[in-house]
Amino acid sequence: MRRIRASLALSGALALAGLQPAFSQEVTGHHHHEDMPAGIAIPGDSIYQLPVTLQTAEGRTLPLADLHGRPLLVTMFYSRCTTVCPVLTAQLQRLVERLGPDDRQQIRVLMVSFDAVRDTPDVLSAFKAEHHIQESNWIVAHASADDVRALAAALGIRYRELPDHTFNHSALISLADREGIVRARTGELAARDDAFMRAIHEQAAAKPAPR
Amino acid sequence: MKSAITVLLTCAIGAAAAAAELLPIGPGEFSSVVPSGDAAPSVHVGRFMLERRPVTNAEFLAYVLHHREWRRDRVASLFADGDYLSHWSAADTLGPSARPEQPVTRVSWFAARAYCEAQGERLPNWTEWEYAAAADERTADARRDPQWQSRILDWYGQPATHALPRVGMGPVNFYGIQDLHGLIWEWVEDFNALLVSADSRDQADPVKLQFCGAGALSLKDPGNYAMLMRIAFLTSLEARSTARSLGFRCAGGKSP
Repeated sequence: MRRIRASLALSGALALAGLQPAFSQEVTGHHHHEDMPAGIAIPGDSIYQLPVTLQTAEGRTLPLADLHGRPLLVTMFYSRCTTVCPVLTAQLQRLVERLGPDDRQQIRVLMVSFDAVRDTPDVLSAFKAEHHIQESNWIVAHASADDVRALAAALGIRYRELPDHTFNHSALISLADREGIVRARTGELAARDDAFMRAIHEQAAAKPAPR
Repeated sequence: MKSAITVLLTCAIGAAAAAAELLPIGPGEFSSVVPSGDAAPSVHVGRFMLERRPVTNAEFLAYVLHHREWRRDRVASLFADGDYLSHWSAADTLGPSARPEQPVTRVSWFAARAYCEAQGERLPNWTEWEYAAAADERTADARRDPQWQSRILDWYGQPATHALPRVGMGPVNFYGIQDLHGLIWEWVEDFNALLVSADSRDQADPVKLQFCGAGALSLKDPGNYAMLMRIAFLTSLEARSTARSLGFRCAGGKSP
């Protein structure tokens, strides 16, 4: 608990000083997740209740709950998907582009693959390069099949693997607040979704909850 | 004499709480009501194990006493809705509305999954469940038998107002499994994977999604109405949902 408070205080101080801590330091530099369940109270309806462990495109192990503290745009996809996923990715990029610079600094984006077997870190790195995803707060990751099922269930995303190892899935973007509570969802893939944009702004502008 | 009876009773209670009996099923080729894609008209079901009966209140109580995070007064709301185990008289007591040998109901998918995992097992997936449930007492696949169909549809038609019977009262099917029909609805691991239309571009619209999915399913075989009811029900659920007649059983063996 003390370490988390310290790390939040540090982020706050850096933010006040106009410095954005590098994402890699912020998320992987601490290993507080082991004592997190006892250390801080995660709200009961937070997605950070899920004992899900991600592996990022960079090959880092990242407990989902380590993403607490900032608003999160989260969706699920798979890299070989040629129909809906490129549209989904483009829509996420548009959402982020339309945010003001302050909001953009506050949020994180998380894309988790349905394909626990084929979407290895190398494949996901190639996916990031192909879609010009360079922002340090944009995480592309995979997880075990069990964890994928649990995360999809919590987010209300339906999916099914077909015999040719493609996936049919719902294309849904969820917005979780700093505590991990899902505050808004959109299935809009082409047009502007102004209500969803407003929800992102509200969460980005909301002060972190005091600990 | 008295002590002998006590010992016998203790044994009986011990047996009820002991690990549930798993029976082997499969492997086999199977035509599921869920279309598996154009290329494959049938699916291969690998050999797996399935519990003979649904998990009971007594078994689930023993679980929550040791895994306190699944007590109804402690469970995270992400994992179970407000009716979770609400028919028990207390978080750690069954009481008069929940007899030990009745199937446990009002459990969420997350809770069912955690229970099975703690037993070193898992939830069956839909294809496995459907494969086991296609049997009647004599044959492995009785789905074309009008009697099999009407028996199931009769149960769907019964009002759900009576107390649930105890587990293990239903006929023993071809594999030795009981209560797949006629007692409760059961969770499966991939409950959220059943009604997904063949075209992901439709997925943004849930109404269209369900329409397409259901249309595709019913076209495959109208005789599968009994199974389609199950799928329609499972599809209406969220992972945290609970319902008065929704329980589960666990499976073993490698997941396909």
